[in-house]
Amino acid sequence: MSAEELIEVKAADAFDDGEREIVEVNGAEVGVLRVDGEYHAVRNRCLHDCGPVAEGAVGKKLVGEFVEPGKRVEKDYDGDQPIISCPWHGWSYDLETGEQLADDDIVLPTYDVVVEDGIVYVANE
Amino acid sequence: MLESDESRRREETLDKYHVIDGDCHYMESFHDVAEYMEEPWKTKFEGSNFDEKGAKQNLSSFFPFSTGDRQAHGKVTREHSSYPDDPETPERIREGMEAIGVDETLLISHLILAGAGTTADDDRQSAFAKAYIEYMLEEVLDPDDGIHGLAPIPYGDVEASMEILDRVEDEDAYVGACFVTAGATPPLGNRKYDPLYERCEELGLPAVFHTGGAGLDEYVRAGYQEMIETHTLGFLESNMSQIVSLVIQGVPEKFPDLDIVFMESGITYIPGLMTRLDEEYLKRPEEAPLLEKKPGEYITDFYYGTQPLEISADTEYLEKCFDMVGTDSLMYASDYPHWDYDRPTTVTDLPFLSEDEKKQILSENAKEVFDL
Repeated sequence: MSAEELIEVKAADAFDDGEREIVEVNGAEVGVLRVDGEYHAVRNRCLHDCGPVAEGAVGKKLVGEFVEPGKRVEKDYDGDQPIISCPWHGWSYDLETGEQLADDDIVLPTYDVVVEDGIVYVANE
Repeated sequence: MLESDESRRREETLDKYHVIDGDCHYMESFHDVAEYMEEPWKTKFEGSNFDEKGAKQNLSSFFPFSTGDRQAHGKVTREHSSYPDDPETPERIREGMEAIGVDETLLISHLILAGAGTTADDDRQSAFAKAYIEYMLEEVLDPDDGIHGLAPIPYGDVEASMEILDRVEDEDAYVGACFVTAGATPPLGNRKYDPLYERCEELGLPAVFHTGGAGLDEYVRAGYQEMIETHTLGFLESNMSQIVSLVIQGVPEKFPDLDIVFMESGITYIPGLMTRLDEEYLKRPEEAPLLEKKPGEYITDFYYGTQPLEISADTEYLEKCFDMVGTDSLMYASDYPHWDYDRPTTVTDLPFLSEDEKKQILSENAKEVFDL
């Protein structure tokens, strides 16, 4: 197993919440995002049709709860589960795990993000 | 293509199988059912000039309200049924079963198939369904002799439907509840029907969704000219629309112990619907938040009557369809004595099924689902 390599993204104090940067990791495009104070990094190549998923809309997972027969299913966004959606066809992934929301057998590659000495890095394992 | 095996007599091949028919139609007459109706429906029906006819469509054959004649303008006749000229009798049902090689049968009302399309008048459907329940119990159903019934559910009137489910709760002759898929508006995944599914689940009654010919002329648009057009498309549309609605609205998640059965659209439409719906779901899962797996996986949890089985299709294609749906989800159905009925030989003749798979389809799945 090769040693972990850190690829510099940019200074943490210049990385505003809601921003994203595209970097190259081992020949592949990776999107690094800061969402609600947390860093995430995903491959910028949708598993559906190779679209630029890391450049797509960031949102929350919509969940439903069956309360009782005959009543509307209660629907709300789960604030703990940020998702990212490919702008081409809307395939959506859990930003943390990379799992496609409709099928968790489909997993978008994710990367560790670390901050060292005020610099944001993506790990290439 | 299936090849003819002239060395084998078809009747003999059936002797070694116990066959349960998941979908046979009792050709009740308006007169017979009217005897069991409450007023004012009894008087109205008796005076409605329906005559003794069970299903014959003389007038509609010429001025069609359902795109033409079921009997293909005189081509199709029935030796072992009174259909379509006269009402059926219990004796004729047994004769028909024996003629096609069926040991046990599940009877579904013929007339309710037509009534379900009349969405403007749920009171009339409820009156009919309640009387049908009593008539069949009293005069036709005979579970000890393998004649079982499905209770028609006039789902447009949820209260009346609940009364019917209460009525059949302790009647062993009724082994399931029948929802005619044609005409269901809103579609049957809507929350308004939840109490019916909850009650069926509680009673251990499978929900049998049966397509129907009512309103076929304008099933989604007017202007078709021949029955081959509306029957091919309309029967499929009626079932597909309800499958999609049930799955996407999460009925299998809301009522996980409810057995769901779909009748009478063959089987090749199922893989097509599964793959199309899965493809959409991958793009729009937020619109079906109750689902815990892909729609296609719920679809294969449902059961399907085989009739009218597409036996003339390419064998490899048909085998792939059986693989995708699963032989544990299929049950033989005849639709006898309707014009396009299937004999059990449609299943026994399939070259790619093992003996165990044939038995599953011919009786074991139905036995388990309907607790026969």
